[in-house]
Amino acid sequence: MMKKVLTIALMFLAVAALADELAIGAKAPAFSLANAVDGKTYAFTPGDGKISVVFFTCNQCPYAKAFEPRLIAIAKQYASKGVTFYAIDSNDEARYAEESLANMKDRAVNKGYPYPYLKDNDSSIAHAYGAKVTPHVYVIDQKGTLRYRGYVDDSARPEERTKTGLTDALDALLANKTVANTETRAFGCTIKWKS
Amino acid sequence: MRAYVPFAAFCLSVATAAGAANLVELREPAKIADSFSARAPVRVVNVWATWCVPCVEEMNDLRTISNTFGTQVSLLGISLDDMIPGDRNATKRKVSDFLDKKRITYTNIYYRGNSDALGDKLRFNGEIPITIVYDRTGREVWRQQGKLDREKAIAQIRKMLGGK
Repeated sequence: MMKKVLTIALMFLAVAALADELAIGAKAPAFSLANAVDGKTYAFTPGDGKISVVFFTCNQCPYAKAFEPRLIAIAKQYASKGVTFYAIDSNDEARYAEESLANMKDRAVNKGYPYPYLKDNDSSIAHAYGAKVTPHVYVIDQKGTLRYRGYVDDSARPEERTKTGLTDALDALLANKTVANTETRAFGCTIKWKS
Repeated sequence: MRAYVPFAAFCLSVATAAGAANLVELREPAKIADSFSARAPVRVVNVWATWCVPCVEEMNDLRTISNTFGTQVSLLGISLDDMIPGDRNATKRKVSDFLDKKRITYTNIYYRGNSDALGDKLRFNGEIPITIVYDRTGREVWRQQGKLDREKAIAQIRKMLGGK
């Protein structure tokens, strides 16, 4: 009996710990941010009829860098299927110079990002999505509803990958199917919040 | 011959200093608890990586906790450095060198298993650092996600040790 109570209490705590993250089924927050590459403002209006991937990344995190080639490949592969990608850097450039617009531009150009690399100056968009780490991925459907959040894959080592979170979610949405695994555990570097 | 003795002693001392880190490889999260000292009434797990800024910042505090409580607290680090693709041996050496530099002597696991499986076992969402305190029976008593508050952690451990 005691064990059951403890198990339920622990489950409650685990759910509570995730409570501040944007819920699956919720309307995705809109944003309008500057692209480090061309200086233009990119606006994301959820419900624009497109499947969108919003992911939080940065310049300094080795784990985010480890997933960079994979994200670039996925973005190129799914662009032809009408999926739009937005990369967002929410780290505080005042405390971490590596996250400046100029450094973001260098990285995006050198790596050939096929998506805009947007600066979330006050970290407010990361807060709105409930992102915690880099990389942290969100998939939004054509109506603007959050359908997946979590990791790209369960391992950054291709040979040890056993689950593909992002592409599974995209394939399901493109086939008008329910996303089977809607929430996964995003490991990574803590977002360096603007204080 | 006599001249070689101090030289040999010097080499031995350098080798000992360089290999001081207590780093063991592990793939199975179920075996994490095996690394705790059986006698310690308080067990602490700290999940970290050399690439994690707050993890590195709290290392000195963890060493202080380990030194303060001695055998009363079994502290166990779990490094996630292996999650970054690359030469495993080089990464392991990097972790070991870091622990040496920080004078960390408590056991650290070089975790080579699946990150999801570790998250399931320790019930955390993937954000590191995270520090979890257990009692002798393995019951979780306290946890902190994010950079450790050393005084809070010490107060919690003292309480578990009966105010000693």
